[in-house]
Amino acid sequence: MLSPLLFLISCDNKSDYEEVNARMDFKVPSNFPALAQEIDRNYPTERGFELGRKLFHDTRLSSDGTVSCAFCHEQASAFTHHGHAFSHGINNLEGVRNTPSIQNMAFQSQYFYDGAAVSIEMLSIAPIHNPVEMNETLENIAVKLKKDKSYVELFSQAFEDQEVSSNNILKALGQFMTMMVSANSRYDKYVRKEPGGNLSEQEKSGLELFTQKCASCHKTDMFTDSTFRNNGLPPNSKLNDLGRETVTGFASDRYKFKVPSLRNIALTAPYMHDGRFGSLQSVLNFYASGVKHSETLDPLLNANGVLGISLSADEKEALIAFFQTLTDEEYINNQLFYFKT
Amino acid sequence: MNFQLKNIAAVLAATSLFVSCSNDDDNGSKVVEGAVGEAELFFDNGMAGDALDLGNAYTNSNGETVTVKKLNYIISNVVLIKEDGSSFVYPKAENYFIISEEKGQFTVHLENIPVGDYKKVKFGIGVDQQRYLEGESAQKSFWDLAYANDMTWTWSIGYRFINFEGTFAETSDHGRHEELPFQVHQGSNSATDNYREVTLDLPTTARVREKELSSIHIMSDINVLLDGDTKILLHDNLNAGGTAVSIMGGENLIKIAQNSLKMFKVDHVHNGPGSHHE
Ligand code: HEC
Ligand code: HEC
Repeated sequence: MLSPLLFLISCDNKSDYEEVNARMDFKVPSNFPALAQEIDRNYPTERGFELGRKLFHDTRLSSDGTVSCAFCHEQASAFTHHGHAFSHGINNLEGVRNTPSIQNMAFQSQYFYDGAAVSIEMLSIAPIHNPVEMNETLENIAVKLKKDKSYVELFSQAFEDQEVSSNNILKALGQFMTMMVSANSRYDKYVRKEPGGNLSEQEKSGLELFTQKCASCHKTDMFTDSTFRNNGLPPNSKLNDLGRETVTGFASDRYKFKVPSLRNIALTAPYMHDGRFGSLQSVLNFYASGVKHSETLDPLLNANGVLGISLSADEKEALIAFFQTLTDEEYINNQLFYFKT
Repeated sequence: MNFQLKNIAAVLAATSLFVSCSNDDDNGSKVVEGAVGEAELFFDNGMAGDALDLGNAYTNSNGETVTVKKLNYIISNVVLIKEDGSSFVYPKAENYFIISEEKGQFTVHLENIPVGDYKKVKFGIGVDQQRYLEGESAQKSFWDLAYANDMTWTWSIGYRFINFEGTFAETSDHGRHEELPFQVHQGSNSATDNYREVTLDLPTTARVREKELSSIHIMSDINVLLDGDTKILLHDNLNAGGTAVSIMGGENLIKIAQNSLKMFKVDHVHNGPGSHHE
C-alpha cells in the first residue's frame, strides 16, 4: 500500500523537476536530411545538456584525472585534436586514429571510423574505456561524481530518477552532443538563400565539381552517407588498421572507413583516419594520383579502369576554395558549448 | 461429517480428475484469477552430456580437446506460453539476465507471473537489436551488470551474448600442439544481428501458483557452439602467429548463432512451494 504521504512527496519532486528543467529547442535545419537518431527517447533538457557539457569538459572521466573529452575534441577546431595525427590520452599514450570533428551527431547512424557504435547515447562508452584514451569505467566515474555536491544536484535536476549513474552519465553526454549542430556556414546560408550566403564564382565552381565528383560518397548537406568505403589510401604498414573489418570480422570490409563529414574541414587538419595528410592540397593530390588498387577499393574510384578522380590544378583550387565555405564560425564560437566554471 | 450423497459424488469426481492429472501435477492447488506466482529458469551447463566443470578437459568430435575457463551468457525476453497459445511476456525492462558458471549464477528468477499452466518457454540468447538500438535510456543498469560480468564490448560498443573462453589442444591428425588459449565472444555488431530466440517444450507443465515456485530445469550443451550442426575448428582460426584463437566477428558468429539454437533443452520442471536449487 502506498501511503498518501509518499505519494505527495513524489508528486512534489516531479513538479520540481519539471519546473527547473525545461526542454531545449531543437530544430532540424531546413537543408538537413532527417534525424538518424531517435532523440525523443533522450530529448535534451536544459539541465541534462548543462550536465553533459560539464561532463564533456571534466578530466574526472579519465582514470588519472588528466584527460577530458574536450582535451581531444577542442571547439576551436570543430572539436578535433588539432595538429595531432594520433590523439594522445592518459599518460601521453598514443591512439592509432585521428580525432574526427563532433557536429551534427544526431544526423548520423554510425560512429567512429569503423562503426564501433550506432547510438548517440552509447558511443561515449568507447573513449571512456579505451586504455589509451580515458581508461576509466562508467561505474567508477559515478562513484567519483557522487562525492561532488554540484554534480549530485545537477543529476537530480536533470533526470527523473535523480541518480548519479552510468546510465545518466551517458544520457547527459548524448543530450550535449545532440545539441551540437553546425548548420550556419556560408555554404548553408547560400543553400537556404539567407543573408550572408554569397559564394564567389570560384567557390561555386568548386561546389559544382564537388557535386559531380565527390558527393556520391560525401552525400547530402551532412557530406557523408554514413557508409564504410575504401577510398584507396595505401594501408599504413606500421598500423595495419583494418577499418570496418575490426568491428564486423568480414574480410570484405578490410580497409573500409566511415565516409567522414566534411563540415568545418578547413579547421580539422590533419586528414584521414590516421591523419596522414597535413593539408587539403595533399588530400586532393591523393584523390587525383595516389589512389591505390586493392580488392575492397570502392568501384567509384576505379571507374572504367581509371584509378582515382581526375582533377586539374584549377579544379583543385576551386575545391579548396569551396571547402572554406563549410567553416561555421558561429559553431566554433558558440558560447553554449563552452564550459565556464 | 454430514456429507450428502451427491456431494460425495462430486468430491469423488473431482478427486479422480486430480488423480488423472497427477502424472505431471502432484497436487491440485487452484488457479485463482488475477493471482500471481513465481517461476525460475535453472540453467545446468554441460559439455555433450557431461557436467561442465571449469578447468576440466573435454574432447569434442572435431578432434579438439577443450578446457573451459569461462562460460557466461545473456538470457533475455523470456515468454511463458500456455497450451492454448496465449502467453505471458515478462516485462521488457526486467527481462535481461546473466548466467555465469564462474559466479555460480544459474537462475533466471521471474516474479508476478499470472498463475496458470504453462507448456512452453521462449527466450533469447543475447540482447535483441531493438533493445540495443534504444540506447541507454532503455538499458539502464543492465550495462553495469553486464560490464561486471565481462559481457560488454567497449571498443565495438555492445554486449557479448556468450563469453566462452579456455584453452584447447589438438588431438587429431592435423598436427598436435600444446594448449593454446581461445576466446569465443558471441554478439551482434553493427553489421550482423546475432541475437537468436528459442522456444522449448516443457516435458511437464509448469504450474505457476500463488506463493509457489515453478522451476524449469534446462540443460545447456556448450559443446554445440563449436561442435554443433556446423563445425568450427579452433585450429582453423589461429591468429597469424599461431599462438591463440579469438573468434569475435564475421561468419563464425553467424554459425555460432545458428548452433546455439540447439544449445538448450528442458530436462524437467519442479512445481510447488519453495526454491529447488539453492
Ligand atoms: C584521447 C583522445 C580522445 C578523448 C579523450 C576522447 N576522444 Fe572522442 N575520438 C577520439 C578519436 C581518436 C576518435 C576516432 C576513433 C575511431 O574512429 O576509432 C574519436 C571519435 C569520437 C566520436 C565519433 C565521431 C564520428 O564522426 O564518428 C565522438 C562522437 C566522440 N569521439 C566523442 C567523445 C566523447 C563524448 C568523449 C568523452 C567521453 C571523447 N570523445 C573522448 C579521440 C578522443
Ligand atoms: C568512394 C567514396 C568517396 C569518394 C568518391 C570521395 N571520398 Fe573523400 N573520403 C571517403 C572516405 C571513405 C574517407 C575516409 C578515409 C579514411 O580516413 O581512411 C574520405 C576522406 C576524405 C577527406 C578527409 C576528411 C577528414 O576529416 O579527414 C577529404 C577532405 C575528402 N575525403 C574529400 C573528398 C573529395 C574532395 C572528393 C572528390 C574529389 C572525395 N573526397 C571523394 C570516401 C570518398
